[in-house]
Amino acid sequence: MRGRGGGGRGGRDGGGRGRGRGRGGGRDGGGRSGGRGFGRGGGRGGRGGGMKGGAKVSLEPHRHEGIFIAKAKDDALVTRNLVPGESVYGEKRITVEADGEKVEYRVWNPFRSKLAAAVLGGVDNIWIKPGSRVLYLGAASGTTVSHVSDVIGPTGIVYAVEFSHRCGRDLVNMAKKRTNVIPIIEDARHPARYRMLVGMVDVIFADVAQPDQARIIALNAHSFLKADGKFVMSIKANCIDSTAPPEAVFAQEVAKLQQEKFKPYEQVTLEPFERDHACVVGAYRASKKPKAPSAA
Amino acid sequence: MATLSASKSQPLYLLYEAPSGYSIFEAHGLDEIGQAAAAVQESIKDLNRFGNVVRLVTFKPFESAASALDQCNAISEGIMTSELQEFLGSCLPKVKAGKAAKFSLGVAEPKLGSQIQESLGVPCQSNEFVAEFLRGIRLHFSRFVRDLKEGDVERAQLGLSHSYSRAKVKFNVNRIDNMIIQSISLLDTLDKDINTFAMRAKEWYSWHFPELVKIISDNYIYAKLCTFIKDKSTLADESLEELTEITGDEDKAKEILAAAKSSMGQDISPIDLINIQAFGERVVRLVEFRTVLHGYLVSKMHGIAPNLATLIGEIVGARLISHAGSLSNLAKCPASTVQILGAEKALFRALKTKGNTPKYGLIFHSSFIGRASAKNKGRISRYLANKASLATRLDCYLETSTNAFGQKLKEQVEERLDFYDKGVAPRKNIDVMKLACKEALQQQSNADPQPAAEKKKKKKKAISEEENGHPSVAVEDEPVSKNEPKKKKKAKKSAEAAEEVSKKKKKRKNAAE
Repeated sequence: MRGRGGGGRGGRDGGGRGRGRGRGGGRDGGGRSGGRGFGRGGGRGGRGGGMKGGAKVSLEPHRHEGIFIAKAKDDALVTRNLVPGESVYGEKRITVEADGEKVEYRVWNPFRSKLAAAVLGGVDNIWIKPGSRVLYLGAASGTTVSHVSDVIGPTGIVYAVEFSHRCGRDLVNMAKKRTNVIPIIEDARHPARYRMLVGMVDVIFADVAQPDQARIIALNAHSFLKADGKFVMSIKANCIDSTAPPEAVFAQEVAKLQQEKFKPYEQVTLEPFERDHACVVGAYRASKKPKAPSAA
Repeated sequence: MATLSASKSQPLYLLYEAPSGYSIFEAHGLDEIGQAAAAVQESIKDLNRFGNVVRLVTFKPFESAASALDQCNAISEGIMTSELQEFLGSCLPKVKAGKAAKFSLGVAEPKLGSQIQESLGVPCQSNEFVAEFLRGIRLHFSRFVRDLKEGDVERAQLGLSHSYSRAKVKFNVNRIDNMIIQSISLLDTLDKDINTFAMRAKEWYSWHFPELVKIISDNYIYAKLCTFIKDKSTLADESLEELTEITGDEDKAKEILAAAKSSMGQDISPIDLINIQAFGERVVRLVEFRTVLHGYLVSKMHGIAPNLATLIGEIVGARLISHAGSLSNLAKCPASTVQILGAEKALFRALKTKGNTPKYGLIFHSSFIGRASAKNKGRISRYLANKASLATRLDCYLETSTNAFGQKLKEQVEERLDFYDKGVAPRKNIDVMKLACKEALQQQSNADPQPAAEKKKKKKKAISEEENGHPSVAVEDEPVSKNEPKKKKKAKKSAEAAEEVSKKKKKRKNAAE
């Protein structure tokens, strides 16, 4: 639970740029944790029990490569733990024996991770799969990053960018144990500042919750995203315009992306996990037809 | 500097900063692909084609991890290090003095480019065209450099990013503000906790001595008495003096003595008493710690934000800083934001429902707003927020520490209150600020005459440049000229204020008629 409830203030630190302001509501209030309680519902029962029952849990691969579904009393989204025996943020772990080999999985809570919410929301393709190179903007304390790191496995790389020093501390600590995470404490608005640290990537995942997030993603894509690379962006309508209806805000953000050589494929809302959030997936420089030369 | 001088015949070099070292590439297929970024884009897709367009000239690995970190820090700030200068000098063609270079260098960031141009005379460009090349190089880098094995670049990135990020976390610029933010949060928590604990102590000890609650309402004194009295039956007339010392009131002490004799509380066993006492002591110590912490916060605030603390009070000032995240964040907030800081929920609700936005947030707790009449609360809140914003900016960006401005700003708010209340016209803003500048200088020279004079000179220099830019600005006498740029703004403000005043006067006249 650390990082979300307790360290709420820390997110504000230094410019409030990373995600502090964006997620402030969720952190300070009981909004998110309340939702979490609701999500767990009854089935889980006592502390440490539930999923760890072992014998009762059966595992199925999810439609998306690298993600699994644990079927017990309740179904849960899980990823295979890259560092067996350790929880990153106090999440539950499930050990399953398959062919005499013990494999550990970590439960992925959609109320705490927008990517998980998007997966459960039925997104067609998240493009993050084993071996992917991912640029993760707005990494916060690294809860979702740790699951992305599970999904991509030891052959992939996730570059995790976060601006807040407070969250960055947790992120760096998490990255110590996972060598496929490259932590970068820097402002995602200035990709040139961390250009030495990032290579070309297949996917950009952005959860920055800033009014100019489309611009932030475009700047990063121009420097680091492969041609025909994919982007996954979560939009919090309240952070961009709190007065307009959410649908209008989503449409406006998608339009901004289209101007920057992005081609949106699909959009899902993150209900019931987050209110007024949407997740947009698409490609960068996907079109084959030649563009008008725009060199300076 | 993003010149288009790279005509087709001129070679274009590219600087690529890899995590393991600097490298120079040469784009030599320019004749074929021309200047269009789209053409470069096409060629990037395939290494063979890209290899025909771009060639590696030199790759120089960093000597050590420490040197890599230095370079990375410099690159992120857009600074050219001596190593980079040396590297560029050694592998780029020499530029003859007085002659235009026959080539150009493409760099990722214009700031770095201009530095290179200044010190080496190499014309630099950083545009979309160059960016496309760099994208290609980034994509294929490990295959250009022979010595690099699979995964070497990633390992270098991993090591470098860890050390870079650790350094970032370590050298947080806002660390002094952090102390204020933490202590104000702790103060709030302590207040809450002390209250709960004291309630519990009262509840507990009241089984034994129920009358004491009625006599002593103060938490701290109650807890102290609780540890002093212990078993009420042992209380005798001899302890009157000590009781008076604790309560600070002889009548109360006598009352306690009388109450102890005729108390209806039940007797208590020594073992229960020990626990109650231990808890009472804990409460006493917590209260004492709170006092110490409060003193610490006050002194910190006067050190970091003297003007803000003087104007609005240390606690409210600390709350504002804590809410904004840091002093510099608060300084960047417009005054309208300062005004409603802490009332976000009400603000967004008002925006959504198109209702009235809140008049004040955290600054409500300053004494000024309570003193204004209901009608003028919003006005004084706006005025106070304006002044608080100015004070914060002075605190954040002034090189010397002074609270002269805070005092004057506070006087101004007082005058404004008077104006709303009794119609006494406030002083003109520009006069007050002149006075404040004078006082600030005086404070400074009183503290240390020598360095102050130096600083003044420096500032004068900076100001004189600005004045050249704006010849129309009236030149003030020397001590005041220090704050010229601020002045202009303030002069404008005072004009506005004056206008406001005249409007008010008109209204009043109308009312009289």
